[in-house]
Amino acid sequence: MSEFEWRNQMHKLNTPEPPARELWPEISARIAQQPRVAPRRAMRRAFAAIAATVIIASGAGLLAYRLDRNAAPTVSAPVVAVSPIVTSETPPRTALDWAVPSDPKLAAVAQGLDKASADLQAALEARPDAVFLVSMINRTNAQRMRLLRQSAISG
Amino acid sequence: MDGATLSMNAPLLESDSAYVDDSALVRRSAAGDTRAFEQLYRSHVGRVHGAILRLVGMDRARAEELTQEAFVRAWQKLSSFRYESAFSTWLYRLGVNTALMELRGRREAENVDDATLEYAAGGEVPFCAGERGDLERAVSALPPRARAVLVLHDVEGWKHEEIAAELGMATGSSKAQLHRARGLLRRALGGET
Repeated sequence: MSEFEWRNQMHKLNTPEPPARELWPEISARIAQQPRVAPRRAMRRAFAAIAATVIIASGAGLLAYRLDRNAAPTVSAPVVAVSPIVTSETPPRTALDWAVPSDPKLAAVAQGLDKASADLQAALEARPDAVFLVSMINRTNAQRMRLLRQSAISG
Repeated sequence: MDGATLSMNAPLLESDSAYVDDSALVRRSAAGDTRAFEQLYRSHVGRVHGAILRLVGMDRARAEELTQEAFVRAWQKLSSFRYESAFSTWLYRLGVNTALMELRGRREAENVDDATLEYAAGGEVPFCAGERGDLERAVSALPPRARAVLVLHDVEGWKHEEIAAELGMATGSSKAQLHRARGLLRRALGGET
């Protein structure tokens, strides 16, 4: 028997075979319980988060630069640990959320970065194949760390 | 979703869906219409279930479980369907992917054993003929990973590169597994040439 004949014989096994029992009722019941993010909404959320991240990161960078220029080199300002207000809509908290800069302006920027990070995480859950979101999350977190460092140095 | 209950109470006839375009049904499904998704299910369940059944060695209960899982995953992932390929192809790949999930996690060392090396070193494996039932039984009795490679290559018509990517193995390993599977099949079928 040649390879061609073999492949032909094996290919004949490739036939549709419906399941012996009706599967739809169980599938239907399962998908009825599945919350699914509508595609356009998911992508809109992702792009809105990205846009917010870029704007906030730029603002944070500028603010950090200004603070850096005015910083007193020997004085180290405290970083205040604050318990956040938890509501039903509050996104999951990370370790960074608990370290809030004492400067109100920096605290606002930190809050914005945390929100952008949470939005990116949500977008990544909706689109786990979107690798670019991972790098956006990493960059957002790096900005957040930098902001924290700058606030500690500048006071 | 409300539509789920509705569609369960009023199942669609196959003739209802015969002339409905898949893309329109996918769009409706993506918007949450479970009746549209049911039509897609009825159009494609045979192909998806058939491929899964062969991959799991004709284990009907397991194939039904995985087919269910594949359609639930398809529902969840409709947003990632890009309309660039046929929906049937996308769904079929998702079904195969679901069936292969448990294989993918296994370590390569578990899959290339002495038997593989024996066959790989043994030159060409003679091909053999068999009745459909005999072939299906012999394929079912193969080790899972060798069976997956054989089914994907010889039955489903995949290339080694595609199989290797899907199973997370080297292309050479896919070829070795195919060689092994064919050798084991020849033995099981009595070695006719």
